[in-house]
Amino acid sequence: MMRVGEIAVGRSGDKGEKLDLTLVALNAENYAWLEKRLTASVAQAAIARVMPGEVTRYEVPGLFALKFVIEGALPGGVYATLHAGLHWQKAAIWVLLDLEID
Amino acid sequence: MQERTVAAGAGFAGDRTEQAVALAASGKVHAIGLECLAERTIVPGLRAREIDPEAGYDPRLERRLKPLLHVAFSNSCRVVSNLGAANPLAAGAKIARLARDLGCSGLKSAAVIGDDVMALADNIDWEVDFEGNLLGAHAYLGVDTIAPAVEGGADVIVTGRVADSALFSAEPLPILVNHDDALAGATAIGHLLECTGQVTGGNFEMPDGGSLSAKDFANLGFPLARVFADGTAELGLLDGAPGRIDRLTCALQLLYEVHDPSAYITPDGILDLTGITFDEVGVNRVRVSGARFRGKPKTLKVSGFVQQPGFVADIEIGYAGTHALNRGQIAADTLRMRLDDIPQDHIRIDLVGVDSTLGLASLPPANRMPEVRLHVSARCPDAELAQIIEDEVYSLTLSGPAGGGSVRSERRPSLAVVDGLIDRNLVKTEIVWETA
Repeated sequence: MMRVGEIAVGRSGDKGEKLDLTLVALNAENYAWLEKRLTASVAQAAIARVMPGEVTRYEVPGLFALKFVIEGALPGGVYATLHAGLHWQKAAIWVLLDLEID
Repeated sequence: MQERTVAAGAGFAGDRTEQAVALAASGKVHAIGLECLAERTIVPGLRAREIDPEAGYDPRLERRLKPLLHVAFSNSCRVVSNLGAANPLAAGAKIARLARDLGCSGLKSAAVIGDDVMALADNIDWEVDFEGNLLGAHAYLGVDTIAPAVEGGADVIVTGRVADSALFSAEPLPILVNHDDALAGATAIGHLLECTGQVTGGNFEMPDGGSLSAKDFANLGFPLARVFADGTAELGLLDGAPGRIDRLTCALQLLYEVHDPSAYITPDGILDLTGITFDEVGVNRVRVSGARFRGKPKTLKVSGFVQQPGFVADIEIGYAGTHALNRGQIAADTLRMRLDDIPQDHIRIDLVGVDSTLGLASLPPANRMPEVRLHVSARCPDAELAQIIEDEVYSLTLSGPAGGGSVRSERRPSLAVVDGLIDRNLVKTEIVWETA
């Protein structure tokens, strides 16, 4: 078992109703490990506990990066949220960083 | 090879003001971009403009430009900003007056007009159907609309809605050769710069929890980039400015909010960012190259704002001391019973400090939480329901678990952002000049 956040850094973003999560692995070996294991469906299962939406994964091997874009994750956009205050989604990357994978 | 140095002086309307002044004062910067217009920031501007035709630009314009204008003008550093918000025309006139007051005689300001496409609303192809009142519709303009102001020698260029990256790519535009890929490069650099501290070590943590110190965050340097004629660049900080620029901070910012990295859609081109490389050529100095151009979109993105009736009521009450977590959980369950007639998808009840951010994906709480806050947000069709929910939370102080207190509440208007597209040929822009 390895926590994703031990081998990658990450950041959350958004646009409209979409959530946009980026992970950048520390090196090529870490990237290969993540690329193989952190599939769209693994990410989907983790993210579904927090928000709705279909997950699409994009790979950028040259930057050791994976992106996960979740359609409809922020219904009505960030200002329509029922979370405490605004912009809870800035912390959403920890759903992936705290994921433990075999 | 020709080059232009461009810096980022603001990444949102309320960003710190002193870094822009330091960058302009360095004498090394040809243009400083101030990105001050988030999606929603334009809405208060629209409301202000309705009341006063001379208002509607960002109310922080004076606070931001007063310390900057003279320093920038005397160092031949152009200022490019979307501070114009809902009224760039009035902002241009205001800047000329401000410049006169500050003794910047001869300063030329240029306002870029035409992003407001409300009059073309029938031609906007909205992504979703919406109910409610459309407050405004603004197209994301490209760098081509700013270029005439650069060519005309404007000292300050003020816009409404433009692509954030265009605030930074406008300066190097005239020197670019092999135009398409070079423009893609300059646009990507703009994207790297537009969130200021996010590329210099802000909003960044290493796997071991390492980040900059509080002292460095408090004085965080904002980035500058030497942009070369081929659209490559070298990103850096002013000498002595605290911060961190490396492969990791650059990769996170490059990919920030771009969705598909092989087809990042901007008005200036669809960019393929997947071939970009970051070479660390020195301490906090990174060479950026490899952006590719994949065609120019025929449409512009439009951002619309829809006012829906009612509010989101957002209320909290705190519990502290021994058993605080238990009392917070009982209070939450009590409130769920009291408010069980509100539809499930219109209300959210959780504990701040436990699961208010990540819900079921939250880490387990400690057994002895020194304090927790119960939070409830609900979509309320009218003020009366908002008041009832606020009163129900306050009732917990008398008829709920012991020691509930520190209540706070707010009501936010129910505002939805809707995206659409418009044929770019329909959007006509112009430049309005003023001289101090």
